Amino acid sequence: MRLSSVRAGMALGMAVLAFLSLSCGGGKPDRHQQNAAAHPSAAVRHHFQFVDVAQEAGITRLLLAGRPGKDHLLDSAGAGVAWLDFDRDGWIDAYLVNGWKLSGKRVIEKGRNALYRNRGDGTFEDVTDRSHTGGEGRWGSGVAVADYDGDGWPDLFVTSFGANVLYRNRGDGTFENVAVRAGVESPGWNTGAAFFDADGDGDLDLYVAAYIDCTLEEVLKAQPTLAWRGVDKVALGPFGLPGAPDHFFVADGKGHFREATQEAGLKDEALAFGFGVRAADLDSDGDPDLYVANDSDPNYLYRNEGGGKFREVGLWSGAALSANAAAQAGMGITLGDANGDGFPDLFVTNFAEDYSTLYRGDGKGFFQDISEESGVAGITFQPMSWGTVLADFDCDGDEDLAIANGHIYPQVDRHPELGNHYAQRSLLLENTGGGHFADATDEAGPGFLPARVSRGLAAGDYDNDGDLDLLISNLDASPTLLRNDSVRSGACLTVNLEVAPGSGTVLGTRVSITLGKRTLMRDVSSGESYLSAHDPRLHFGLGDAKVLDRLEVRWPDGTRTVRTSVPVQPILTIRK
Amino acid sequence: MERAKWILAGLLVLVAVGAVQTPLRAEAPESTATPKELVATYRTLADTILGANKTESNLVASILSTTYHHAEATLAMVHASLKARKPAKAELEKLAALVAQLGNEGDAAVGGVRKRLVEGGHHHNAAEEHQGTYDEGFVIVTRSAKKVFLEAAGNIGKMTESPKAAALDAEWQKVKTQYTELMTAR
Repeated sequence: MRLSSVRAGMALGMAVLAFLSLSCGGGKPDRHQQNAAAHPSAAVRHHFQFVDVAQEAGITRLLLAGRPGKDHLLDSAGAGVAWLDFDRDGWIDAYLVNGWKLSGKRVIEKGRNALYRNRGDGTFEDVTDRSHTGGEGRWGSGVAVADYDGDGWPDLFVTSFGANVLYRNRGDGTFENVAVRAGVESPGWNTGAAFFDADGDGDLDLYVAAYIDCTLEEVLKAQPTLAWRGVDKVALGPFGLPGAPDHFFVADGKGHFREATQEAGLKDEALAFGFGVRAADLDSDGDPDLYVANDSDPNYLYRNEGGGKFREVGLWSGAALSANAAAQAGMGITLGDANGDGFPDLFVTNFAEDYSTLYRGDGKGFFQDISEESGVAGITFQPMSWGTVLADFDCDGDEDLAIANGHIYPQVDRHPELGNHYAQRSLLLENTGGGHFADATDEAGPGFLPARVSRGLAAGDYDNDGDLDLLISNLDASPTLLRNDSVRSGACLTVNLEVAPGSGTVLGTRVSITLGKRTLMRDVSSGESYLSAHDPRLHFGLGDAKVLDRLEVRWPDGTRTVRTSVPVQPILTIRK
Repeated sequence: MERAKWILAGLLVLVAVGAVQTPLRAEAPESTATPKELVATYRTLADTILGANKTESNLVASILSTTYHHAEATLAMVHASLKARKPAKAELEKLAALVAQLGNEGDAAVGGVRKRLVEGGHHHNAAEEHQGTYDEGFVIVTRSAKKVFLEAAGNIGKMTESPKAAALDAEWQKVKTQYTELMTAR
């Protein structure tokens, strides 16, 4: 654990208060008592504390986002962010995707992506130029992180409006764009992407979602023409604009990919407006399935049938629509175990004035919208939501929810009677147990106070103190780095998985930890949220557990590593 | 769709105007009435537009009917497998998919066509969509019917592990009732 002096002071203060509480109360304080002691005016949920430290940390790259009026949806779609340890020094680094700045029909500036190397002292160094990761002048969109060539170094796949970029990590601090050579340029408006071993051959295949089929000329000529609620003209779409097909690329194991969308059963028949993508084993059969969040179209759930073949089962698996059988405006995805039953659940962010949806998974590939009963529906109804993560921010043993918000129409601010705003506060929902959530945003510290027009969100423990921090991209602004200074309700565990170079991938690995009757589950993915990628290490909150009764690692090839009676420790590295 | 209609209408109007232009120029019109040739052309166009809507409704009904009968045949296959104590997973999943397609008024490819129509401004049940009775672009399947079909589809899909004929029939009955109701109402 490493704390800055301020944080160390806070921790000491908390410890003293906790001790006082113990002494006066004559018993062990629960987390709420501790918290109330630390914050006398606080209600029961006042233990979260997030502080925006982006400026002092040196993460300052401005996200360019089209025109101020957001005349085209591309202007307002924003871009993703990622955590990766590109230099393998044990400190995760930050990558920010960037767009372009327009004025009317002119391109004013082509934004540059940014790679920030973590110095390990709470600050970052901009190494974009040195590492050659500026984005090749493309209008960037999303990012996925994976060691696609199995050389042991994490690579970056950056989707674009235009040709995609595949930055191969050379292992010497520099990258090279090998998208053409690899065969994954696929020009278009590409959005979410996921690397996963679709056919079980040991190398990583790639799915890339696409949004609208349009040209730069159309973007530049766009005017706000859609009459919105009869009060203003806003950017047209996505209805009224043609959808673009998603793509699937199968790897040959030698660094090259071949488009195999149709033969794999992944053809985007509806030309849905695709955004977030998440690969994971959703039916517990050992192979990765694929979930795609579509804007205004039913979401896709492609079940892996084995042998690299997929079948779209979204509608009858319950994961495509809301409980009202309505297609929603899917943006971002996060996978976790919201209700602690050991099976993966899905959370999908949606448009304003419609709730974001929590789908409870049964571990057999079926899902049920439990947004209403979980409390999520009411909390998420008003804002327009994008990046998200299910993560245990207070280490109490259940997963909370963070959601980045911001409207797409700046015109909203001209109509206060509509009760919404262009800039919106991000949300923090605390899991109060059993998959029930309460809005903890107001008590989540100063980092959650300002309203911003946020998009991408990635969780990662950048300061290696055991808890998860948040990196969020904001339109026409610099990013937010929310350092997690929350009072912890238990021990934190970071699981670092490693495979030897050339011997497979960690993507798709699932780790299950049994604590008494509870099982905590996490898996490794190349990205999720909204066009973003979290810390590749797995983070667990253990509550008051002192020993992990059982820890099971299920590697992508089906082999398992099992350990029993593991003493609680901050970091656990497991090599295959 | 709407754009195509207007282009067609424009062409017809141009033809009609061409037909009446000479007499209009030759002598000043004595009446303020719209020339009867234009009205007649418009009437013909109205027949075409309304006919297209009716054709769309019939086509979607045919899609539903085909899907329903496909599902019915699949149901019989499931029953045969169950009776013979053979695995029925594949048939059950096929049945679930077909019932889901009833709810979705067709598969994803049909959904793509429907989206194109909506993108072009064509809403078969515009007023009812506004009221929340229909999803955007849906022609026959109401939102409540959609829920019934999708719920049944999910329940059927979940039966793959230990299928029971009676439970399956109960789900199918819901599908049949809803389908019959929709088709009778049109």
